[in-house]
Amino acid sequence: MNLYEHTIIARQDTSPSEIKQLTEKYSKIIEKNDGEVVKTENWGLLNLSYLIKKNKKGSYIHFKIKGKGSVINELEKNETIDKKLLRFLTVKVKKFDLETNYFSKKDESEIKESIKN
Amino acid sequence: MPKRQSGNRKSKQSNFAKLSIFQNNKYKFKKNCPLSIKGAPKIDYKNIKLLKRYVTENGKILPSRVTNVSQKKQRELSLSIKRARNLALL
Repeated sequence: MNLYEHTIIARQDTSPSEIKQLTEKYSKIIEKNDGEVVKTENWGLLNLSYLIKKNKKGSYIHFKIKGKGSVINELEKNETIDKKLLRFLTVKVKKFDLETNYFSKKDESEIKESIKN
Repeated sequence: MPKRQSGNRKSKQSNFAKLSIFQNNKYKFKKNCPLSIKGAPKIDYKNIKLLKRYVTENGKILPSRVTNVSQKKQRELSLSIKRARNLALL
């Protein structure tokens, strides 16, 4: 079972509810092909360093997936069709580091973050 | 690489100033690579704070002869910088 880190950039004008739908949709696809979503992170709305399809900002969703290669083929096949996504990137990794989340401090509400740690 | 003992070793300046004097000099003044020390941060395409330090203002990757990064770390660094560029993080 390989470990993958999969990141999607959704368009700027997707509402938070749509983002939730997106995450559920893709984690369902992963579960259907007997993959397993170890962790999902929502990095929130970040401004892109260059324009992708005329979007200045994009909301990032990050999955940590455990599964065979076929899971990723299936996932990426659906993502290429999806109009809402700007870009996706899958990285095969040896092991996950689950605790460091580089984006949580900056954009998620600091209050919630500062209470937690 | 024979390490040339530079006679007038001034106080510990930043590396750019030193190298700008001996621009054509290929010898590395600092022996240790900042990323191979024990407590060094992990090189990861998500860790933009670290990647930003090894990239010029307009986003080009700094050569390892300027940043004194070891070859193995430089390869990882350039790979993660390219991934971060792909995700428009950098």
